[in-house]
Amino acid sequence: MLTCIGLRKDYVTERGAVAAVAGIDLEVAAGRFAAIIGRSGSGKSSLMAMIGGLSRPSAGQVTVDGTDIWGLSENDLAAFRNRRIGYVFQFASLLPTLRLVDNVALPALLGRSRDGTDAYGRAAELLAQMGLGDHLDAYPSEVSAGEQRRAVIARALINDPAMILADEPTSDLDEQTEIEIMDELLAVNRERGTTLVLVTHNLALAEQAEQIVHIAGGGIVA
Amino acid sequence: MAADRRGLGWLLASLALQNLGRRRARSFLLIAAVAVASGVVFTGATLMRSIDRSMEIGFTRMGADMMVAPEGALTNITAALLTVEPTDLVLDADLFAKAGIASVRRAAPQKIARVEHSGIGSHHESADLIGFDPALDFTIRPWLVEKLNRDLQPGDVILGAGRDAPLGSQLLIFGKPHIVYGRLGRTGVGTHERGVFMTFQTFDGLAAAMGGHAGHGGNGSLAVLQPGKVSGFLVELAPGAPPLQARFAILSSLKGIKVVTGDTTMSGIRQGLAALLDGILALTVLMFASMALMVSVLFSAIVTERRAELGLLKSIGARRSQIVGMMVIEAVIATGVGGALGVVLGFLAMRLYERSLVYYLENMGVPFAWLATPQVVAFALGAIALSSIIGALGALTPAWRASRRDPYDLVRGES
Ligand SMILES: Nc1ncnc2c1ncn2[C@@H]1O[C@H](COP(=O)(O)OP(=O)(O)OP(=O)(O)O)[C@@H](O)[C@H]1O
Ligand SMILES: [Mg+2]
Repeated sequence: MLTCIGLRKDYVTERGAVAAVAGIDLEVAAGRFAAIIGRSGSGKSSLMAMIGGLSRPSAGQVTVDGTDIWGLSENDLAAFRNRRIGYVFQFASLLPTLRLVDNVALPALLGRSRDGTDAYGRAAELLAQMGLGDHLDAYPSEVSAGEQRRAVIARALINDPAMILADEPTSDLDEQTEIEIMDELLAVNRERGTTLVLVTHNLALAEQAEQIVHIAGGGIVA
Repeated sequence: MAADRRGLGWLLASLALQNLGRRRARSFLLIAAVAVASGVVFTGATLMRSIDRSMEIGFTRMGADMMVAPEGALTNITAALLTVEPTDLVLDADLFAKAGIASVRRAAPQKIARVEHSGIGSHHESADLIGFDPALDFTIRPWLVEKLNRDLQPGDVILGAGRDAPLGSQLLIFGKPHIVYGRLGRTGVGTHERGVFMTFQTFDGLAAAMGGHAGHGGNGSLAVLQPGKVSGFLVELAPGAPPLQARFAILSSLKGIKVVTGDTTMSGIRQGLAALLDGILALTVLMFASMALMVSVLFSAIVTERRAELGLLKSIGARRSQIVGMMVIEAVIATGVGGALGVVLGFLAMRLYERSLVYYLENMGVPFAWLATPQVVAFALGAIALSSIIGALGALTPAWRASRRDPYDLVRGES
């Protein structure tokens, strides 16, 4: 269960403060698929980053399964990001100098949630599941953008997170690939009961969600 | 699915290495700068300690403060007063014992004879035979660099550095067998290098043979061969005795003598060397200070450049210690390699200039001896460790500062 209360994010710029997120209350039940929609610049990514433990709110609270995540210590917050959240960024986010299999195994190694053998075994399994079984040893630059995004999803899944936060994971991909990747995410949501929060511009996609959150100007519109 | 597995440490280290490899020119500059600093520190420390130690030896080997010779004898001022000069004139052996001069701590008598056809060296070469009193000698034996593993005995000779007969071998002098007991180090004084040193007893044993072959003394009877006569004395002053007053005291209480003081430029040279050492030390400290500065500036830039990568690592759960550790590893690899390279270059440079350096120092009267290998190794490891530590410290602050930022800010590349 995800709860946001009075969540704010103000950016301080040379032209004054910008309220990217201006007081959001939100609740997403465990195992749900929620879609966040809104125009560019409405504050979707800022909201996601605060939910995922990546950006400290200016005010308000994020609670995941009863834990106030921004009240955690540095190390506990790192463990939260590592174990509980699978984050899929809006942009390419693989480490370019590591192979796909290293990239996918990395969160398990960082969090010591699995030993080396297990981490690599699971990484290979997930990549194979994403149709990348033949590209374990490939470097990110050696595969397509869609394949990179699949590898990021595999990385997000390696520690069996409670929640996947996907920030426009398919915005730069063609329609067919977008559908394939969305199918993967929806399958994870359905089969494993992983909560899925998805930011998308694709309204048809959002229609499939159990909960739609429409954001404009940093706030939720009904 | 046979992707080979890699540990976390390996992955983080490889990220660090890849980053170094991605910016070849910058990494090269960093490594080169560290190498220069480490090389200067290593060679500086090694030379400094070597010279320092050589000077310590030099002080004990400096020889006498003064030489007392028969009035009218020809004397040569050499860098170190170690032996008296060959002369026809003699003094009484018990001269100082009788006079009892307060400012004289000890006076070592010596006999010296320059002989030809002795059988030492080539046929026509003249050789200096130098006799000393083992109970009073303080100038000759400090120079022993190698010797037999026993006490000096009658019939033994000690050779100057310029003569090469193996230790323990037999040396015929005027047909009489002698044993080569030891060898002196290089003193920088030619007559010492070719000298043959022995106790009075051994010297006297050769008196009969020498009588006919003396280079000095014209018709064969050498004054110094008479019992109770010596060529001169090497004098060490009592601690704190002012040289001028001591000289005056000697001249006034002893008749028929002259006093030769040691080469006063020696002390000047020593002071000059001390200043040089201070200079090296200052240079070393400066080098390291500027290197530390440069490394920290460079690593601020490196951290800034890698912000997205650090943010990404943080997003997937890297702890701050892991982020900082990775950056520090990168710095330590670069500066450690630089440090090691500097040591190698410094070592080569010292080897290359060893000849001229040793020659230069020995010319100034400082016998040069390299430090023992373990000490050189310790300095080498020290220079490498110091380089790595400076790298670690240089990277620590920027890495630590970056690591506390929100991952989202890092990933987005905000300043
Ligand atoms: N670091 C920042 N500093 C200043 N302003 C920022 C910063 N990050 C975001 N903003 C501003 O905050 C607002 C919300 O940005 P955000 O990235 O959350 O929007 P978004 O809904 O994700 O947009 P998009 O659909 O284009 O990704 C925007 O007006 C943006 O310009
Ligand atoms: Mg966005």
